[in-house]
Amino acid sequence: MKKPIKDMDYVKLFAEKLKKDNSLFKQQKMLIESQLQASRSLFRNMFGTGEEFKKNARIYLRKVGLIKPVSR
Amino acid sequence: MEKGYTIKNNVIIISRDFTELDFFLRDFLNILKKHSDYLVVSGYVSICSGRSRATEDIDLLFPIPRKESFSELLKELQENNFWCYQGDNADEIFPYIENMNSIRFARTNENFPNIELVPIDETRKAKFFEFKHPQKIKIKDFEFKIPPIEFEILYKEIILTGKKDLEDANHLRAIFSDILKEEKFKEYEPIIRGELKQ
Repeated sequence: MKKPIKDMDYVKLFAEKLKKDNSLFKQQKMLIESQLQASRSLFRNMFGTGEEFKKNARIYLRKVGLIKPVSR
Repeated sequence: MEKGYTIKNNVIIISRDFTELDFFLRDFLNILKKHSDYLVVSGYVSICSGRSRATEDIDLLFPIPRKESFSELLKELQENNFWCYQGDNADEIFPYIENMNSIRFARTNENFPNIELVPIDETRKAKFFEFKHPQKIKIKDFEFKIPPIEFEILYKEIILTGKKDLEDANHLRAIFSDILKEEKFKEYEPIIRGELKQ
């Protein structure tokens, strides 16, 4: 087997192994859920809850470009 | 050892447990489907089939609705603990949709993950084509619609072209190598290249 050397090679190798062995999905689940939990905790601490959360979140989301004015 | 996926009646069945990201999409689609058709596109297509990478959003295509219909969808989403980045009522949000701008929804008190709802109509030829030619995919009892895999690969390779997108395409080529059809790539490529000219 060719030794993987670039990110792209690892992506291909992982997919080929996953095709034959679904137990590798467990690693993927851990990665996805740890990211979501970290993000949830961070933003609740930054923005509070309820209407305060929405107000603060929208200020942040405008700054990072995720809320833009309507483009016509 | 169980395979990562199987095919039954043209449905791709992914052999894995749910993730929190799947539950998020499932809850959103359970509401959206009552009001609109949809297609799940882009990063989540690769992630649901095993691509190991982080993501903050799930992209959904949906046809531009009437304002009244959108108001009903918005009301039901809000009643079920989703909030919209762009506003709290249809008067604020609908101008985005009618001008073909995306809108985003997250769960109450959360920013991420979010659903990016991308409005489409016949003028968006490539997007409209994939919307009209869905592939069904299933995780346990959760079935939803994605583009044909060949279309998704080419879209990432020709239109999106970022490192993450090319890796997603490579993942899809590798994991679905047994079912990809060369004639489909040939059929879809000119449709996708047409988007570069728009």
